Amino acid sequence: MSGSQSGGSGRNGLIALIRAAFLASALTGSLMLPASDAAGAAPEVGGSTFPTRPLFGDTHLHTGWSFDAGAFGCRLAPSDAYRFARGEEIRASSGQPAKLSRPLDFLVVADHSDNMGLFTDLLAGKPELLADRKGRRWHELIQAGKGGEAAFEMLYAFSNGSFPKEMTYSPATPSFRSAWQGEIKAAEDYNEPGRFTAFIGFEWTSNTGGNNLHRNVIFRGNGAQAGLVAPFVTIKPFGSDNPADLWKWMAAAQEMTGSEVLAIAHNGNLSNGRMFPMVEAFGKKIDKAYAETRARWEPLCETTQTKGTGEAHPSLSPNDEFADFELWDKSNLDATAVKTKGMLEFEYARSAFKNGLALEAKLGVNPYKFGLIGSSDAHTGLAAMEEDNFFGKTTPQEPGPERLTRTFAKNPLTRVKIMNWQIGASGYAAVWATENTREAIFDAMKRRETYATTGPRMVVRLFGGWDFEPADANSRTPAATGYAKGVPMGGDLSRAPQGKSPTFIAAALKDAIGANLDRIQIIKGWVDKDGTTHERIYDVAVSGGRTIEADGRCKTRVGSTVDVENATWANTIGAPELITVWKDPDFDPALRAFYYVRVLEIPTPRWTAYDAKRFGVKPLPGTVMTLQERAYTSPIWYTP
Amino acid sequence: MSLKSVAREPLLHFLAIGAALFLYFHFSGGGSGPTSSRIVLTAGQINQLVAGFAKTWQRPPTDVELKGLVDDWVREEIAVREAMAMGLDRDDTVIRRRLRQKLEFVVEDVVAAAAPTEQELQAWLAGHAAAFRIEPQVAFRQVYVSRDRRGAAAETDAKALLARLRAAGAAARIDDLGDPIMLPQEVDLSSRGEIARTFGDDFAARVETLVPGIWAGPIQSGFGLHLVLVRERVEGSLPPLSRVRPIVEREFASDRRTRQLAAMYERLLAKYMVVIEKKTEGDAPAGGAGKGGS
Repeated sequence: MSGSQSGGSGRNGLIALIRAAFLASALTGSLMLPASDAAGAAPEVGGSTFPTRPLFGDTHLHTGWSFDAGAFGCRLAPSDAYRFARGEEIRASSGQPAKLSRPLDFLVVADHSDNMGLFTDLLAGKPELLADRKGRRWHELIQAGKGGEAAFEMLYAFSNGSFPKEMTYSPATPSFRSAWQGEIKAAEDYNEPGRFTAFIGFEWTSNTGGNNLHRNVIFRGNGAQAGLVAPFVTIKPFGSDNPADLWKWMAAAQEMTGSEVLAIAHNGNLSNGRMFPMVEAFGKKIDKAYAETRARWEPLCETTQTKGTGEAHPSLSPNDEFADFELWDKSNLDATAVKTKGMLEFEYARSAFKNGLALEAKLGVNPYKFGLIGSSDAHTGLAAMEEDNFFGKTTPQEPGPERLTRTFAKNPLTRVKIMNWQIGASGYAAVWATENTREAIFDAMKRRETYATTGPRMVVRLFGGWDFEPADANSRTPAATGYAKGVPMGGDLSRAPQGKSPTFIAAALKDAIGANLDRIQIIKGWVDKDGTTHERIYDVAVSGGRTIEADGRCKTRVGSTVDVENATWANTIGAPELITVWKDPDFDPALRAFYYVRVLEIPTPRWTAYDAKRFGVKPLPGTVMTLQERAYTSPIWYTP
Repeated sequence: MSLKSVAREPLLHFLAIGAALFLYFHFSGGGSGPTSSRIVLTAGQINQLVAGFAKTWQRPPTDVELKGLVDDWVREEIAVREAMAMGLDRDDTVIRRRLRQKLEFVVEDVVAAAAPTEQELQAWLAGHAAAFRIEPQVAFRQVYVSRDRRGAAAETDAKALLARLRAAGAAARIDDLGDPIMLPQEVDLSSRGEIARTFGDDFAARVETLVPGIWAGPIQSGFGLHLVLVRERVEGSLPPLSRVRPIVEREFASDRRTRQLAAMYERLLAKYMVVIEKKTEGDAPAGGAGKGGS
């Protein structure tokens, strides 16, 4: 064919192309599809109205469509993230194959609403972006392979309000809208009721001054509903960094779309004292209205993830020998302001539970009556949070010999430095839903029948009631007893019957392919008549026949089978299951209280040990090499 | 291809209308095209800005806010024109990439309009049977014997229990046999993956090999020992199209898009003469940040 470009041959060419498109042809190439099970068949034994197995998932995953993830090097789209979560093998952004040991049951791809779609356009090229000096600079950095640098600059600019206005992808722009539609489509494509749930959601990234007040927002409904609104951003004039405005948006969005929504806050540990305020927030007093609104929209908090675990802190709980766990407590999110001790009380979940009781006594409503989950906050598109299969927090930390010794972030002004090894391979959300659908999982989240895990999939049950007996611990169906005679985790007990103390069934079963269990603890908090809060830890079930002393503590450690050098361990200590019925020996029916369960595994190698072994790299001095994985349940609250 | 059928091609009509519109606007005086100094923000566009704002805030913008939106739009329009006048759009990698992306979208859009036929979907399903196959399923009963509780005696205890179960038969009462654990004793038809999720993959693999109707074991799991009776086994099968239609449609469309683009480039390549010079020493390596996310 000649190089002629006459209209005729050009037109015919295109027509022929279209015709060719309609021909069926033999197709080559393999599909990455899981085999479908019988459509609609729920995996569990039918007939029970209560949940019979926990569903494990991630409510906080970023793909390359998040402006920072893309800049860090993530090239995966939401569809890749869902496929990976469903158990398929995916090529990670670093080029290596990645696959979960077992599929997850649900996933929320929660890309940042601010600048949604910006990065893919920055990478693929948009003239408007390059007309801005910063845009051009970031584009060039990315092209030169220095995306990480660009990412930190973008984040920093975003935090301190110097993100170029011309580059801001506001909800009014077509690019933003099409990115949101793309997110919705991916969730709709991979949502398979009964088998895998893909939720529509986004992250609202309030980060003013570097202080983290982020929330993930999840829709209960479908794409047609979510498509009626644009995700709330933080950049003005379209958005706001004040959670109170997010809650206003949520109320309006729920009204407009007909779909319920909820928000999950995370990283109190990086809020520098702002996550769980007691007196004022954004210039307004913490009053009953605040408490009601917050409690209404935020039934859960994400308490363990890659950027640190936020259940307890040794300074706040000096008697808790397990409180020092995967802490990130040096500063706020972008390391521009160091942490002071006075901030801690308003950052950690257990402290918030206690203060919530005090506020309830004062205001009549508890703003911090939230359930607990874990999630990853991975910016790789891969929800891979097992210690021996950890794909990092951002693409530069995908497996490789360098990641063990590199610096993650440092701020020369504040001298705050965070090393890669401090990133945690954590966590997942466990939800006691009656079936694997959006509606059932969302409803379980709203009633707080959830727990957090730092990665392993142990099965944890907690029931509270007035009439549990020791024999109930020998039951073959403790759940049936639990639901019949009490309330599950996340529930409420009130007005103790005369002379009775609350009783609890606490049970945990190890991850089928994981480590044995060390112990189950019940952590109690209460507020006394003077408004002072207290906490106390009780070991309620321990492995190996160790003694729990009169004060409720088992002082004997479970030991360790970890061979750090070879990154191995053995289930020769600990127990595959622990179950007990416990009664509060120090109960005062006149005082508000909460009880939640913390389950600890025996020590196992941390991802750092697997890396040192696999890549033959020597870890830096001070690198933590072992850990005791754990689960935290939502509390059961007692109200007089 | 007769002239008549060509004249009926929708794409041809589309192109003809587009060409007519282009000619009309090109010759209708002045206008507010990219090269003129007149910027017009139409009522329709203003409504779009308002709609975008309202979608987020669930209320229309105030006058001040609307002014902000309009000012912002005008600034962007000026920036685009000035940038193009300066030739910023030429020889620019990212602009070229964007144009390519838009061209590919055009092809995808036109093709996406046509729904696949029954035959095409059936052929796809048959051609990718492995990906759609319904896994074999097993229903079983299990009795758990705890090493943790019984220590060294666990193996012998389990074997003794196995003998009792065999004597009692497939319908044996197992409610109070073995040790309690939060694992189901009766499991309905489940795939290997589902069984593995609860019991671990080694256990699931063993169970798949058992002969139905006979108590077997002790089988090891991460929890301890199990005595297992397979009640029913259902072989794997290929589902009919009616059961998996949405997934087949999705995968078919995705693959067709890819092949379309390949075909388009094949066709268009034939129009051009491509000359590739030899690489010289000392050329700067191509900076790469990988392919753009989609």
